Amino acid sequence: MELEERELTLEEAFEKLEETIEKLQAEDITLEDSFKEYKQGMEILKYCSDKIDRVEKKVLKIEGNGELNEF
Amino acid sequence: MQNVYTVSQVNSYIKNMFTQDFMLQSLYVKGEVSNCKYHSSGHIYFTLKDQKGTISCVMFAGNRSGLVFRMEEGQQIVVGGTVDVYERDGKYQLYARQITLDGIGLLYEKFDMLKKDLEERGMFAACYKQPIPRYIRTLGVVTAATGAAVRDIINIVSRRNPYVQIILYPAIVQGEQAAASIVNGIRALEYLGVDVMIVGRGGGSIEDLWAFNEEIVAQAIFDCQIPIISAVGHETDTTIADFVADLRAPTPSAAAELAVYEYGQYEALLLEYRDTLDGLLKYKMNWYKNRLDNIGLKLKYLSPANQIREKRTYSLKLEEQMENAMEAILVKKRHFLEVYIEKMKGLSPLDKLRQGFSYVSDEEGKTVSSVESVEEGSLLRVHVQNGIITAKALGKERVEWN
Repeated sequence: MELEERELTLEEAFEKLEETIEKLQAEDITLEDSFKEYKQGMEILKYCSDKIDRVEKKVLKIEGNGELNEF
Repeated sequence: MQNVYTVSQVNSYIKNMFTQDFMLQSLYVKGEVSNCKYHSSGHIYFTLKDQKGTISCVMFAGNRSGLVFRMEEGQQIVVGGTVDVYERDGKYQLYARQITLDGIGLLYEKFDMLKKDLEERGMFAACYKQPIPRYIRTLGVVTAATGAAVRDIINIVSRRNPYVQIILYPAIVQGEQAAASIVNGIRALEYLGVDVMIVGRGGGSIEDLWAFNEEIVAQAIFDCQIPIISAVGHETDTTIADFVADLRAPTPSAAAELAVYEYGQYEALLLEYRDTLDGLLKYKMNWYKNRLDNIGLKLKYLSPANQIREKRTYSLKLEEQMENAMEAILVKKRHFLEVYIEKMKGLSPLDKLRQGFSYVSDEEGKTVSSVESVEEGSLLRVHVQNGIITAKALGKERVEWN
């Protein structure tokens, strides 16, 4: 999927989700296409979830020599 | 009798004393501006005062090059000039050649000049403002490592989104080295590639905040490729950094709120999207399922098996109708039969016998209905109502009854 090619920002990912939803809402979408869109939507959602590194961060401080240490 | 002088003589004498005084010819006087009037002639009249006294001052239009700012009431200024006597009024005045702002006043003057300069160079223009990304992962902070600002920022960021990495550049934010330190901080964090930067410090006097009014800081903020949120002092403090930054926050806390999105809301948004996607697909599938059911039903109706069943049902119905019709006919016929039976009863020979008629047969039981069938002397059986009489034919005679 194209997501890997270029890193989407979350804003762009959300925009893509909106588009996907719009397509799914269309009356004339085929069942195959709706599966495809749904799959893509789920992948974007997963991407959004993965993009956030859900580890609580310690504040880092730049030292004089450019090293990063815990604040 | 003492000497008597004219007013002019006295004033002239005093003026002469002033003129001969070396110090009064060139001196600097500091005080607060009051009663300042810019006259249409170009002269400026004002009073300089301190807690204990006042002195009238005038700056003639010809000396206006010695004043580079607009004098206003309450300003602390230093006036360089001459103290001389105005003979007509018998008053001494300070004739100003040069006026500068004193202390804080000087800072304000510098602030205004730099602001004007940078504004003219377009450094505050909206077209250079970079948008603050909505979802960031790393936040750079240039501020003092000790102090309320960094604590406020850390508190708010960890409350809103603990998954955002804060990188602090511990800057000197006050004093001689502050401006250079802030510039280094901005460059270091830009080099590290944070998503957004907060540059600022807590509240203080204009001198405390001065580093944020230095041109090198403004230039560093302007040059930085990463969006910068300025957060200097309190809401009422405005610095050059605020004008040149991509976004101005009234306080460090507010800057943290502007920089970091709330994780809970983001998560809720993701869930909402997921539910919408699920809902839409379910709806779609239901729609297709219903359609399939409908078509299946139609097809079933048209199937050969159904056709046969249909025909069979029809034939059964016809059969039943036929049986019913037959039954009806039988009932009707039976009824007729009963009617005939009744009629037949009326025609029974027994009734005739009761009325006195008899029925005659020969000995073998054959009915005797004509003269020819009886021989004279033969025996006859006469059937009456309650028995049979045996008789002998004694004679016979043919008679035409009609």
